[in-house]
Amino acid sequence: MNTKRIMHMLLREAGVGIALVLICLLFVFIAPKFATMLNFTNILVQISINMVLAIGLTFVILLGGIDLSVGSVLALCTIVAGKVLTMDSLSVPMAIILAVAASIITGILCGLFNGYVSNRWNLHPFIVTLGMLNIARGAAQQISNSRTIFSFPAVFNNFGSQTFAGVPVIFLISLIMIIIAGFMLRKTVFGRVIYAVGNNEESARLSGHNSGFYKVIVFVISGFCVGVAAILYMLRLNMASPILGVGFELNAIAAAVIGGTSMFGGKGSLLGTFFGACIIGVLNNGLLLIGMSDNARLMVTGFIIVAAVVADYYRARVSLSLQTEQ
Amino acid sequence: MKVTRLTITVILSAALFAVLLYSGLKPSFGPRNTTPHIALVMKSLANEFFLTMEHEARAHQKSSATEYRLTANGIRNETDVSGQVRIIENMIAQDVDALIVAPADSRALIPVCAQAIQQGIVVINIDNRFNQQTLAAKSLQIPFVGPGNRKGAKMVGSYLADHLEAGDGVAVLEGIPTAHNSQERKAGFIEAFREKALDILTIRSAEWDMEKANIVVAALINEYPDVKGIACANDSMALGAVAALKAAGKLNSVYVVGFDNISAVQEMLKNGQILATADQFGGQIAVNGIEYALEILKTGTHKADQETPVELITKQSIENNNE
Repeated sequence: MNTKRIMHMLLREAGVGIALVLICLLFVFIAPKFATMLNFTNILVQISINMVLAIGLTFVILLGGIDLSVGSVLALCTIVAGKVLTMDSLSVPMAIILAVAASIITGILCGLFNGYVSNRWNLHPFIVTLGMLNIARGAAQQISNSRTIFSFPAVFNNFGSQTFAGVPVIFLISLIMIIIAGFMLRKTVFGRVIYAVGNNEESARLSGHNSGFYKVIVFVISGFCVGVAAILYMLRLNMASPILGVGFELNAIAAAVIGGTSMFGGKGSLLGTFFGACIIGVLNNGLLLIGMSDNARLMVTGFIIVAAVVADYYRARVSLSLQTEQ
Repeated sequence: MKVTRLTITVILSAALFAVLLYSGLKPSFGPRNTTPHIALVMKSLANEFFLTMEHEARAHQKSSATEYRLTANGIRNETDVSGQVRIIENMIAQDVDALIVAPADSRALIPVCAQAIQQGIVVINIDNRFNQQTLAAKSLQIPFVGPGNRKGAKMVGSYLADHLEAGDGVAVLEGIPTAHNSQERKAGFIEAFREKALDILTIRSAEWDMEKANIVVAALINEYPDVKGIACANDSMALGAVAALKAAGKLNSVYVVGFDNISAVQEMLKNGQILATADQFGGQIAVNGIEYALEILKTGTHKADQETPVELITKQSIENNNE
């Protein structure tokens, strides 16, 4: 067996995972209290929302698109859901069910708008979702009258801090999301066509796939994820606010990119995105615990993002040389 | 042996799991540190007000008679509520003894602070007061150390009103409407203006931000050409207002007042571009909070709220200080 080949394979398939394990090990030794159960549960909860947003962005980026609106749409979804949740006329279970539905529908509608407009008029999603970023923020402030919504039912608030076998419920939900999405992407025709369209839209189209449909549906998936993330946010913070979520899109994009998703489309996996979200979460947590200042933390995280993209360049070359060997 | 993606995933997960397991089982080693560990959690460090707060807290830590360890953290922008929650969670995991919190939102930070109290951590609220009803609903008592925002704003507002005639039009720029200190300052301004029978033309939010204030004021002076005074709930917004007035050539006909007394407004106070501001001694607020926490840690008794002083700053008061 060719050891060099194993090394290459490892590098190509598991580079991000190895990086995550190394970063964790580093913090175990240098950060006081990093390696405690409480701290790990903290990290799991803290990465959940970003992870769910990053699932949607992975789909969008796989088709070479981008969704800048997720942070604002998240705020809008929490406001809509918060309004429903605090309606006096509804019974508690009914209010919770309707609030979840309202959040997800709001997310899907915003996603549908993004996807339809950019596909129908052949506009770059960058500019369309930039528009949606403002539309959703404005709508959130308008509907909420710039006020925080709170005093949700106690059942709802308490559910957010529940754990199942020691694992926070919020993280479990996002884990289930990423497993289902990963299955969709890897094992279904639908998922394979997304890769095909992302790699070469023209050839996918010529082999009979409606590329337009896929370009719209990935934004709907992203919107769905935002809707779910909004509920997770409300479970976690027990409030809905029109000003939350500023800059969330950047963290979600970073998670996908660190995980090896190519901005040009066609390349990436949800396993990578999962590791990417973990790396951001662990860095945020560990750097804080070793007492690094705010500004230095920002810089380190920034460098890691750039380093991940550079590493990706080398990974691509390794896999290319592997193919020629074969 | 065939190296597949699956085997690699399994191996990596096993490795990660091993790290987790190891860490979960590991007892915290080393002798227990007995000097109290105090965490200061502020809002945006891009705002000079909080930067001063951090510096004075650090200076206090070095010179204080009681020995303690200090960790100071801030968030990226004033609206990053979940970022602040994350910091507090991480501080709880680090087993700090006391948390000094300047909450970005008057309500959203309460659950995580309740969690800290449950873990036996002393929590002190500074700068921006927690919503009292929400605290009461959770039957929590968190001592507040901070300025009388309303009183300060009323002082500044009255000073502005003294320069105007009854019936003159004024505008108010508030901060983020959900923040308690913004609401208090707005109320203070309005109270002062009502007393002098000024005409409050409009109340707008510029979210504490200089850039946003610039845009809002540029539009506002078009809409209300006869506005005579603009009261801003912080100095950053006052800077934005002055820039907009300058661009419109109206600097001499409109008075601007602010709040916070940041160093960027010093020159403007001297040359009259800004009429007045209030100093709430931000650095002192954090230091007072820390001293409060140390005392509670030592004696174990509950402390009442403490109002810190607010001072009116004008061209005159600066000149008097320099003499």
